Amino acid sequence: MGYLAVAGVAALALTGCSGLAPSKSDDSGTGSAIVLRVQGMPAATDKAALEQFNRLADDFEAKNPGITIEGTENRWDPLTFSAKLAGKTVEDVIQVPLTEPQGLIARKHVQPITGSLKAWNHYTEFNPQVLQPLSDSAGEVYGVPLAPFAQGLVYNRALFTKAGLDPDKPPTNWDEVRAFAKQISAKTGKAGFVHEAKGNTGGWQLTMLTYTHGGSMETEQDGKFVAGFNSAPTKTALELLKAMRWTDNSMGQNQLMDQDDVVKQFAAGQIGMFMGTPGTYRLAKMKFGLKNTADYGITALPQAGGNATLGGAEVFMVPASVSKEKAEAAAKWLLFANAEPQYDPAIAAERAQALAKDPEAAVGVPTLPMFSVEQQAKIDAAIKPHVNVELEHFQPWLDGTPKLELRPEPPVAAQKLYTILDPVVQSVLTKREADISALLAKAEADANKMLAAEQK
Amino acid sequence: MTTLLAPAPQRDTVAVQPAPASRRRASLRRELIGLVFLAPALLVFGLFSWWPILRGLLISFQRTNLVDPAVWVGLENFRAVLTDPLVGTAVGNTLLFVALGVVIGFPAPILLAALMSTIRRGGAVYRVLVYLPVVVPPVVAILLWKWFYDPGSGLFNQALGLIGLGPYPWLQSPQSAMLSLVLEATWAGMGGAALIYLAAMTGIPAELYEAAESDGAGIWRRIWHVMLPQLRPVIGLLLLLQLIGTIQVFTEPYIFTQGGPDNATLTILLLIFRYGFQDGEYGQAAALSVVLAIVLAALSAVYLRLTRSWSKT
Repeated sequence: MGYLAVAGVAALALTGCSGLAPSKSDDSGTGSAIVLRVQGMPAATDKAALEQFNRLADDFEAKNPGITIEGTENRWDPLTFSAKLAGKTVEDVIQVPLTEPQGLIARKHVQPITGSLKAWNHYTEFNPQVLQPLSDSAGEVYGVPLAPFAQGLVYNRALFTKAGLDPDKPPTNWDEVRAFAKQISAKTGKAGFVHEAKGNTGGWQLTMLTYTHGGSMETEQDGKFVAGFNSAPTKTALELLKAMRWTDNSMGQNQLMDQDDVVKQFAAGQIGMFMGTPGTYRLAKMKFGLKNTADYGITALPQAGGNATLGGAEVFMVPASVSKEKAEAAAKWLLFANAEPQYDPAIAAERAQALAKDPEAAVGVPTLPMFSVEQQAKIDAAIKPHVNVELEHFQPWLDGTPKLELRPEPPVAAQKLYTILDPVVQSVLTKREADISALLAKAEADANKMLAAEQK
Repeated sequence: MTTLLAPAPQRDTVAVQPAPASRRRASLRRELIGLVFLAPALLVFGLFSWWPILRGLLISFQRTNLVDPAVWVGLENFRAVLTDPLVGTAVGNTLLFVALGVVIGFPAPILLAALMSTIRRGGAVYRVLVYLPVVVPPVVAILLWKWFYDPGSGLFNQALGLIGLGPYPWLQSPQSAMLSLVLEATWAGMGGAALIYLAAMTGIPAELYEAAESDGAGIWRRIWHVMLPQLRPVIGLLLLLQLIGTIQVFTEPYIFTQGGPDNATLTILLLIFRYGFQDGEYGQAAALSVVLAIVLAALSAVYLRLTRSWSKT
């Protein structure tokens, strides 16, 4: 039965038993109340945030008679998403990691809601950079972000001090990162700097490193995109990693980590520096129990001639299987729940005040402007009395990031590109004799084959 | 006496052998009743086992995003999959896992069972201890071993450090990652197989050992000439099940390493997973699943032929 099991499991997973599953999200809802199933509801353990979500849902329902919000704690899960999509049981609003939107758009798993969003008065004021990761090349928008950010360098202020470094003067370039990592490692025995390497995060972080070195992962040639990473910027970036790993021995022992692994280790005080967003503060504190939050520091992503960083946001999208009427309701919800609190200072203050009641919550983690810098300044001022994070430790990130160009993920099949680049990063971090030029040449050939197939 | 007894068989014959038409009706009725009882199981089996298999087969000839209507692409998915260099890597890694599993994981439960069969007192305690890893959920066991393998603070390196060895990059090195996965899988699966062997061993007649012993056979000759031949059908079955199971290895590489480092633990099922759930290439995932199913079916057929020839000898 083994072979039957293989085919059965694969096929069951792929087909999702379509035809059997109740069609919950494709009912038109014409003339009757719409039940909008939305991801992003906080867990029951996060009481303050859950209360806030419920209040938000009540307010929305009061202002939008005929629409009922049904929240779920689910998030986008590659294991179940395809089956749920095929069975039309996926929620009407999904919350996906930053690495996924372009793949979902390319596979037509999500639908554009530009028309519905444009009905909002302030739609044109959105910062185009935060909508970009949720848009296709034709300019159609497929969702609404929340808390946009730019990648930076997260560091442990306590380890900095212990290593004899000034935590108020974090590194600004990669030569300093290398020197600081070496010092942290030598003085404290902890990993000075770590780089993610598995589950496509290796390729993802190599993209950030490449941007800071002035490179691109994909370049356009005669209207088509080809691999652009087999060039000096990525090579230099990998040589830096290789030197830190094998010459300086400052990257610790564990080289196969993803974001959760890294933040968990960071929260346990085992890591000096890593590339991450301000949102990792929330992760470290609320998920991985960072005891002394004052140890958390973040600065703008160090540079080596690129003056650029990778942008992104928490992303909420509408699956392709959702009916038109529900998609319109979903757009209303996303504007109400995500956009308005980031535009209207009064709403932002009210939400911050409610959240701050829970000492476990992280209120005031800085974000990039979802609209304009001026609008963001109003929001920041309004929530200031309720902020419970050590805002001064985010200052280097707030000061340095606006000077950098905010760049998006590679435009074509970013996830598949990362799949190809993960082994390159892993080779450099696990094989002393890794030949960077040969690795990049092979990855380039694989990537070009993949990109050609994607752009047929 | 003769007259009294003679008609009896005739009456009996008439009573138990109805006329052909009524016999057929009774047989049909019995079959219908059987089918009614079987129907729920058949329905569930059909819907959840055979229908997905057929859908999988169909999808292997299609390009689909599971939303728009599927497009028939013939053998294109098979062509794409069979020309993907990663498939070669995945096949090589899977065969390495299978080979290491046979070398390390296959003899281990036999040895364990042989040892346990010699224990006179407290056998039940040992059986429970041996079987315990089997009841630990696979994900929990793997996460536990992930900590054992941790290159910094892991239990194994801490323990080895006490005797001046290591630290070893268990999962961090392309050379040792697969071996590390096999060690965990062996630990996790050994208990079940050991109990099956133990049960089979207790079924071997004691006279065979006694006869061998009186012929002067030592422990190793008794194992070689008495125990192993008697266990041959069980060994054959468990070997086949292990081969089929290890060819389908997924959980270990997915949770331990996600195929790394440098694709050293990328197995066929993990690649199918990547095609389907990471890249959205459902047709290619189904195509590789079909190829794998064909290989495993062929393996099962070989086993059936072999066991048939064994039973004849």
